[in-house]
Amino acid sequence: MTYDFEAMLQTIKDKQWSLADIDWDAPGAEEITDEVRARMQPFMADLVWIEHVGARGFASLAKKAPTPAIKEIYEYFHAEEQKHANAELALMKRWGMLDDDGNVPEPNINVKLAIKTLDTFGDSLPLTGLATLIPLLECALDGALVKFLLDEVHDPVCHEVFRHINSDEARHIAVDFQVLELIGAGPLHKLVIESAANLKPQVVLGLIVVFTPLISKMRDNIVAMGLPEQKLYNAVKRFGSIGGRGEHTSRIPAFHVLKAQAAMIIDRSSPYHRLLADPMVRITSFVPAKVLGKPQSWTEEITHEPVAP
Amino acid sequence: MSGLPAELPDVFTGELLLGDAWRDHSFGGRRVAIIARGNDAVRVLPDIAWTARSVKVFLDDPAWVLPALPVPVGVAVRAASYVPVAGPPARRLLARAHLRLAVRDPWVRRLLTPDDRFGPHPAARGDLFYSVLQQAHCTLVRWPVYAVTEDAVRSAEGIEHQVDCIVVPDPDRLRRIPVALATAGPRRTREDRSA
Repeated sequence: MTYDFEAMLQTIKDKQWSLADIDWDAPGAEEITDEVRARMQPFMADLVWIEHVGARGFASLAKKAPTPAIKEIYEYFHAEEQKHANAELALMKRWGMLDDDGNVPEPNINVKLAIKTLDTFGDSLPLTGLATLIPLLECALDGALVKFLLDEVHDPVCHEVFRHINSDEARHIAVDFQVLELIGAGPLHKLVIESAANLKPQVVLGLIVVFTPLISKMRDNIVAMGLPEQKLYNAVKRFGSIGGRGEHTSRIPAFHVLKAQAAMIIDRSSPYHRLLADPMVRITSFVPAKVLGKPQSWTEEITHEPVAP
Repeated sequence: MSGLPAELPDVFTGELLLGDAWRDHSFGGRRVAIIARGNDAVRVLPDIAWTARSVKVFLDDPAWVLPALPVPVGVAVRAASYVPVAGPPARRLLARAHLRLAVRDPWVRRLLTPDDRFGPHPAARGDLFYSVLQQAHCTLVRWPVYAVTEDAVRSAEGIEHQVDCIVVPDPDRLRRIPVALATAGPRRTREDRSA
């Protein structure tokens, strides 16, 4: 049975919400103690930026979407990821994690590398590559980070916001995997050609230099905050298990590559960490942000103000 | 009003200008939202931006925009663009060059580039569009509009854009805006918050 993307698009339109629906000054912010605030600040900043990078990923997907309905869905997802970044920034503002001018915190070098890579090569990646990568990130985000946040923080506004975000993310993951099914059901020669195109050096290098340390760095930040590593690994595992449920997804080579990488990520004894991921985090930490050039203008669109005058 | 919800005129308390009602209208001191598709926005923006205090262009599906060229060149190019087979790609090429030269920021350029995969976009004359769009009081919004409230336009990135006036040059060509919300949630402006 084919999936009804039109119906999904209608659901997405019906379920839109706005930052203006939420009372950002409601009581509950005092739940955040100074100690929690200091511990959470870098984590929230990472979260905001990862959502923002995810948004850019959907923008690239929209240019590659196989049908007009899927394209429109991706355009909405792009906006929704931006909305999540905005909402999380508004939460940071509410908890006093921003500076006096309400400036967006500076992203770490791995996020900056991801922004640069995605901005430069995202639009030229074949659909199979990016469409497989995004659900992996979504699974990790949705499953581990957000749940952890809700366990840690007892602010009712935070729970309200993440109720919205979680229901959006559930739709994102559902569509992501349905698109993989659609791609996987395509003709074999197309899959082979697109997969060969995925082997471009900038893609392989991007995976090693950008994606690998990004995930490991995030893990380090989360572990430093007190999240059991196992929770993150369970979330990453979901990527393989949901994808494995599909009938055609397993025909996509990129899915197997990323599944194999996901398996290595969650196996702490794998040489992947010792020989590749951890050294990469160290090496990239020496990259001066200057070599990446001027920040892209889309990174400045993020705001914590629910109402624009 | 196919693209707009039927209850919109009752909900939105500001001025709603449909079709050609924007012509000869003074927008002095007002915050205007133009909700339009491709060529319609190109057509109306320069005139409205001339008088309005601020303009937000909620642009759905951008179209190709051709520059104004000096007469001999322009005539030659126009003649060339009517050549069967080669004409339309030539027009697109010209429009692409225009976009490349008129807009410096690569991201804005990306937002303004039409997607011809599911049907080609026409190229229309609009030599002022890009330069006006980049003026300080004009903002390009490419997020999908999902609702209109009593005094604002809501787009899917979760932000409410407050406006005094909404211009919809061609409601029939608009992608359907799902809802008009009569009651907005808790609302505090920047001033209330600092108080």
